[in-house]
Amino acid sequence: MGLEKFDPTLAGHDLVQDLKWNPALRAEFKADEKAVLDRYALRPDERRAIEARDFKTLYALGFHPYLGGQLSRFIYGNDAGGGALVANKKLIASLTGER
Amino acid sequence: MRSVAEIVFAAGVPHAPAIVGLFDKATPEQQKVVRDTYASLSAELRKAKPDLIIVFANDHMTNSRVLAYPDFLIGMAAEHRGPHEWFKPWIGCRDYAVKGSPAAAEALFRGMTRRDVRMFGSRAPLNFDDNVSVPSVLLDLDKLGVPLVPVLQNCTVPPIPDQHRCYEIGRKLGDLVRNDLPAGQRVALIGSGGLSHEPGGARYMFIDEAFDRWFIELCVEADHERMLKELTIERMEAAGSGGTAELLSWVVVMGAIGERRGHSYGYAICSDFRCGIGAVSWKLAA
Repeated sequence: MGLEKFDPTLAGHDLVQDLKWNPALRAEFKADEKAVLDRYALRPDERRAIEARDFKTLYALGFHPYLGGQLSRFIYGNDAGGGALVANKKLIASLTGER
Repeated sequence: MRSVAEIVFAAGVPHAPAIVGLFDKATPEQQKVVRDTYASLSAELRKAKPDLIIVFANDHMTNSRVLAYPDFLIGMAAEHRGPHEWFKPWIGCRDYAVKGSPAAAEALFRGMTRRDVRMFGSRAPLNFDDNVSVPSVLLDLDKLGVPLVPVLQNCTVPPIPDQHRCYEIGRKLGDLVRNDLPAGQRVALIGSGGLSHEPGGARYMFIDEAFDRWFIELCVEADHERMLKELTIERMEAAGSGGTAELLSWVVVMGAIGERRGHSYGYAICSDFRCGIGAVSWKLAA
């Protein structure tokens, strides 16, 4: 699955961008994800996919994979030799169904 | 002093974050390719004695929202610092600060506008992830003392400027260097990106070795008609969706210099890098 389903209007893209640019929002996302998600005009199926860590569905809705990879790092970890490797594995497992 | 500005160095380089952060995961042979490639390029860059460096690199959605995404964003600040805070643990590289050139950035913006190319500019400092950070630290650009103008390119938010458009922009960039920049200015051009990779995709760990070797050979051969015919968006997407098209930054450089034979520094394939690794510099007329 590549960029053919890309939907630039998904509000989740703004969520990832804001998390990247705003350390305070990042901390809040870790502490109270629901409160952060409430502030974005996410479509119901888009929100459910984020909450379920279901990247396959998220991408099918049109989420950009590059930002999907970053979303996985906000959730699972961002350091090169540790959390980011976990994030990659979780992301790939969701996309391929090989959990 | 020559009567016009000239391009004195031109190269395409990889910027995969893992060649810094996960360097230790690679075999000694793979490490040698990375180390020797960047050491050779650093020496060649210094030998060329540039007084301006222009880097084209994928923005990776690091500066702009998807709903308002520029195809080319010129960094016009007086200084460029990186990496951006969130990317530090992911890349694992040191902090750096490279002086910018607002005057050269303005000349680039002005010149492209006069050549009917819509670019965008930012006087505020840009965010840099691996795109500019990896070549900056591996080429020690912060120790060179030469001003840098970064141009962050849309290589991943559809629709992206294709190989024909990027080559045409490169051709206009070459004309701009020769006709708009101060006489005698010595310009280094670097295209930062690639080789094959699929960041965030189901094939995140996939590297298309056959594509990478084919592309390097294409860069070495200097047959641009063939390159423009065969290096399609579709072919790059097949070799790694959303990532491999970063090679369009190399196409900009090739457009600026015209058909010049290239020199390859070898190729490394290491799954931990999540990206094929190779670089090319092009032989320029003396």
